[in-house]
Amino acid sequence: MALSLAVFVQIIVAVLLVIGLMVGNAVVMVYVERKACGFIQRRPGPFEVGPRGLLQAVCDSMKLLGKQIFVPGNIDWPLHFLAPVVAFLPVLLLYLPIPFGPYLTSLQVDDGILLILAFAGLGAVSNILAGWSSNNKYGLLGAARAVAQSVAYEIPMIMALLAVIFMTGTMNLTTLVEGQGGWPWQWNIVRQPLACFIYVVCLVAETNRAPFDLPEAESELTAGFHTEYSGMGFALFFLSEYANMLLVSFVCAVFFLGGWRGPFLDGFWWTFAKAYAIMFFIVWIRWTFPRVRFDQLLNLNWKWLLPLSILNLWLTAVVVKLAN
Amino acid sequence: MLRAIIDNLKGLYSLLVGLSITGRFLLSPQRTVHYPRQVVAPESLASFRGPLELVPSADDPAKTRCISCQMCVRACPDNCLKVVKGEGGKAPAVWVYDFSLCCLCAACVEACPASALRFSHKVYLTALTRDELKLDLLADLKARAAKAAGGADARPPAQPPAGLEPQARL
Ligand code: SF4
Ligand code: SF4
Repeated sequence: MALSLAVFVQIIVAVLLVIGLMVGNAVVMVYVERKACGFIQRRPGPFEVGPRGLLQAVCDSMKLLGKQIFVPGNIDWPLHFLAPVVAFLPVLLLYLPIPFGPYLTSLQVDDGILLILAFAGLGAVSNILAGWSSNNKYGLLGAARAVAQSVAYEIPMIMALLAVIFMTGTMNLTTLVEGQGGWPWQWNIVRQPLACFIYVVCLVAETNRAPFDLPEAESELTAGFHTEYSGMGFALFFLSEYANMLLVSFVCAVFFLGGWRGPFLDGFWWTFAKAYAIMFFIVWIRWTFPRVRFDQLLNLNWKWLLPLSILNLWLTAVVVKLAN
Repeated sequence: MLRAIIDNLKGLYSLLVGLSITGRFLLSPQRTVHYPRQVVAPESLASFRGPLELVPSADDPAKTRCISCQMCVRACPDNCLKVVKGEGGKAPAVWVYDFSLCCLCAACVEACPASALRFSHKVYLTALTRDELKLDLLADLKARAAKAAGGADARPPAQPPAGLEPQARL
């Protein structure tokens, strides 16, 4: 694909839209998360700022913007300031191949999922940079956990997606959606339930969300790798965390839940509805399950998810071979 | 191996149970009240441990049952009580209680041989200085007796802010 002016403009527009989506998503999700937390604990959640607390997240982000940037002594300052940027920028790229709707795709890439998986690895790099450069033992511990965790869970995640790719024979996300029908029984989740299950578990672990939020376990490590960040540095980490959550939810919607295809009126609203249903599910799990221990986390991955995903991949390969 | 698989399947099922519980809670009504706009009904405060108060004697609501035996003063781990016996008879002349030191442990209530102490249910007590929390319980007892008798000079007990309906549900 030649990088013509049209493509260039398309990418610029897409990146701007994605930034808008990321910020809007973070604001909405903070509110949804706190409300859901409140309701699950049978209290009202944020209530005082604006009607029914609707402006709470907006006020919080204003507060973050206005905060003094406090930097501890003896930090490795180039890395310290690089880390939030490294956390934030790749996410922009990751949204490019996502097909939101039949025509609403920022960039048609044949190996869309490869692009996403390749650049998603940079998230772990930003965590290491942040934890290491902060000169803080909690930060360093959080970074070490983050790396061990994301390296471990990336493998079954890729294996689960690979099973679907084996079955459909494409890495192009648009083709993947077109291969699924509108009704739930025509989605890939029916043909690959185990892959979907593994993917959802890995998705929670990869985005460092409870019950697998060990890199930022508040009660043990204060805030893990971003302990020493205040103001905008923290806001960028926060933004990219929610953006990552949304991204893996979109990938899940595209891979397993039929993307923009719905029972009626195909369109980007289906992708969004499905992705946000998954987001809500992630929030729901967060306020239901206690945090696992680190050895449990790794045992779950190496002893269960990895063998299961290999088995699933092998079975898929055999079935595909026989069917041909 | 088989055992491990069965255990893990059971574990998965328990995760679903957990999700269903929080899901139900998510949809069911809340158990908290929005404090400045709603308040908790008085019946629900029966088990609330507020600052100590003196129990009135059976015949006169303005008189204490206290016999100035100092058992409570000795039992108190925080040294927040001061009882001074009055002239003639056993009744105390001074009964001062420093709520800012009290840990609400009830050692005094249990130690009292005359059952003269109990916890009040004052939820709305506030103070700007520590000295305001040094409570004269004899005066408080008299004020309550006067209020019960319909006297106008009664010090008002702690009340929710005016114009608030207690929430009936709670
Ligand atoms: S409740 Fe405990 S701390 Fe308070 S006055 Fe009684 S004995 Fe002292
Ligand atoms: S223990 Fe009871 S009777 Fe004795 S001084 Fe204390 S309050 Fe009075």
